[in-house]
Amino acid sequence: MYKVSSNIVNIPRLRPLVVALLLVALWANGAIGAETKRVRLISLIAIDEFMGRLKEPGGLFYDGTKKRLYVADSGNKRLVSFDEEFRYLSELSHRGFSIPLGIVKTSAGEFYITDAKTGEIKFVDVKNKAIVPLKIKGLDGKKKFVAGRLSLDEKENLVVTDRLNKRILILKRDGTLVKAIEPELKGLYGFSDVKVDSRGYIYAVDTIGRKVYIFDNTGRLVRRFGTSNNKLMRFPVSVAVDSRGYIYVLDRHSGRILVFNDKGVLQHLLLRKGVSPGELYNPGYIYIDGKNRIYTIDGNRVQIFLEGD
Amino acid sequence: MRRAGIVTYLIAVVSVVVLCYGTASAAKKDTRKLCADCHKEVAGFFDKKRVHKPVAGGQCTACHNPHASKHKNLIGESRDELCYGCHKKDKLLKGNVVHQPVVEGLCLECHASHSSDKRALLKGAEAELCFGCHKKENIEGKKFVHPEVRKGRCTTCHDPHGSTLEGLIVKNNMCISCHKGGSKTLRTAHSGLNVSGTQCLSCHSPHSSDNRGIIKANVHAPFAEGKCNVCHKQGSKEIVKADYTMCLDCHENSMQSFYKRYSHLMAGKDDNFCADCHTPHASDERALLRDREDKTCWQCHEDTRSFTHSARYIHPDLKKCLDCHVSHGSNARYMLAAGDNTCSMEGCHPSQGRFTHPVGDDAIDPRSREPMNCSTCHNPMGSPEEFILRAGKVMELCIKCHQI
Repeated sequence: MYKVSSNIVNIPRLRPLVVALLLVALWANGAIGAETKRVRLISLIAIDEFMGRLKEPGGLFYDGTKKRLYVADSGNKRLVSFDEEFRYLSELSHRGFSIPLGIVKTSAGEFYITDAKTGEIKFVDVKNKAIVPLKIKGLDGKKKFVAGRLSLDEKENLVVTDRLNKRILILKRDGTLVKAIEPELKGLYGFSDVKVDSRGYIYAVDTIGRKVYIFDNTGRLVRRFGTSNNKLMRFPVSVAVDSRGYIYVLDRHSGRILVFNDKGVLQHLLLRKGVSPGELYNPGYIYIDGKNRIYTIDGNRVQIFLEGD
Repeated sequence: MRRAGIVTYLIAVVSVVVLCYGTASAAKKDTRKLCADCHKEVAGFFDKKRVHKPVAGGQCTACHNPHASKHKNLIGESRDELCYGCHKKDKLLKGNVVHQPVVEGLCLECHASHSSDKRALLKGAEAELCFGCHKKENIEGKKFVHPEVRKGRCTTCHDPHGSTLEGLIVKNNMCISCHKGGSKTLRTAHSGLNVSGTQCLSCHSPHSSDNRGIIKANVHAPFAEGKCNVCHKQGSKEIVKADYTMCLDCHENSMQSFYKRYSHLMAGKDDNFCADCHTPHASDERALLRDREDKTCWQCHEDTRSFTHSARYIHPDLKKCLDCHVSHGSNARYMLAAGDNTCSMEGCHPSQGRFTHPVGDDAIDPRSREPMNCSTCHNPMGSPEEFILRAGKVMELCIKCHQI
């Protein structure tokens, strides 16, 4: 069997109309006129004689105060730190790190990770070299909570995706539930990533639904954008927001970053598909620090970019 | 001079009219006898029960050009265009699901052009024609066979040209046009439950099965044992728990297979993510998959489907997704079953890395700084290049790493 849209295309008189409508639709989606802007590759972290090779890193976090980059090196079951010029500093290995995925660090120097092997949030007690699973308090026990991606809000609460339940949980650092954002929306498949801006607005991406969701600091949905037919947003896996309020959506299949304004209108594109330095082939995670530097995780490498020449 | 000009003009007009009329009447002219003088087979056309209308009218030239043609058998136009000249395409193709021979204009694969003893000038018995492409043993080779299949009446359910429905099904709720929904017989067969409104094909094969009631080959244990109340409320279609927790009550151990670096652990379409891929009753596929492997995966991986469909070269087993990928989770990228060694798994490509270009830790891709593997040069999901190479085999691929 073979699907064809013959009924429309075979009527020659309608072709110009169909083409015109397609152009309008593409324009409305920002597909026409979206230029690819230049970015500068600041650093590429993959292999180092002291660190060895990164293996399927899952997440990262940049501490602007201490000027340290921390990478959850999932495949090697360790956390690795880098200095402000992204040179290897040290690492923390522990049998409690099964598959570290998400990572955040509070201003008090506390590390929290999510573990893909157990679906838990874990507190990393660096001083005592202990890894303590966080007990979630106040959550309805009927549903199984499986922690996915992790972020910090402006009050340094933990903001985490619940992989099984189409929801985002906001938790105090002791694990007490502050709020569960659980929108009942048609076409929502679940949240693959979450980030929070300085106002406390939450940005989440639904890979299969090909949409970005924006919630305000009360958990109210303020906007969602992206369409299932959008050829630009093919397989969005991660999201980040910069200090100007621009939303960066990492698209795995196209190997590009799509930059939207806060209204969800596409502004421009960054990067292109490829395996060479400065290109993305199978990216999984994006992060933006306070200086608007863009970090991507793509296979076994971390690349850091800055927009412009 | 002026009069001579008018006369010349009139002669020209009359000549054109006569020529056109002559040609038109020639097309309508009964050329049967003329053609049959040489083409002795023409007489045989009339021995059959059904004769194609232009043949019956002796209008051989309606399809054949008596002088010359660029098409075989002196056909006036390409085969499909010729047929669609009289048999309007819009009427034949009732939807956007089109039978592949129709797409390719192969009308004469099923229909005879001159005459036939079968209806619709079919070349043979209905089922025989279908089984020419669709494997007979897959359709009616099982113990219990749907009566219409046994009678060879494929077109009771399928439209051989086009339909709006997958599988070229004639209409929605096809089954209940014969099996009356809510009828006593139907209730009795379903433990007294009114099954109207349910998807018959979620349990039954429409063709044949080794299970009584043409239930699909692989059956969920509680369903096979008649323990409906494991999942459903007593005497009702209503399920006990609406979400995945119902499946986990029995399959808690399956969760471990999801706890990997790369995983399908996600909420999914509805509240029960298990049901996105698996059916709770019966399936002809392994692991009670809802549909064929590729179709199950493409429900979510639409972009991949679109990419592979547009690729010129694809891996021959591309539709067997689970030969290479793990369905729940894997610590290897792309959820591959054996990471970089997936290609040599199960003896598919045993020579992987043993000849030609080296792979592994001793062969680092200078671009990505990662060890090379098969997918450095090949894209198993599809490529415009032969051997599913990522670039042209004459230098283009090599110079991506080897500078000249």
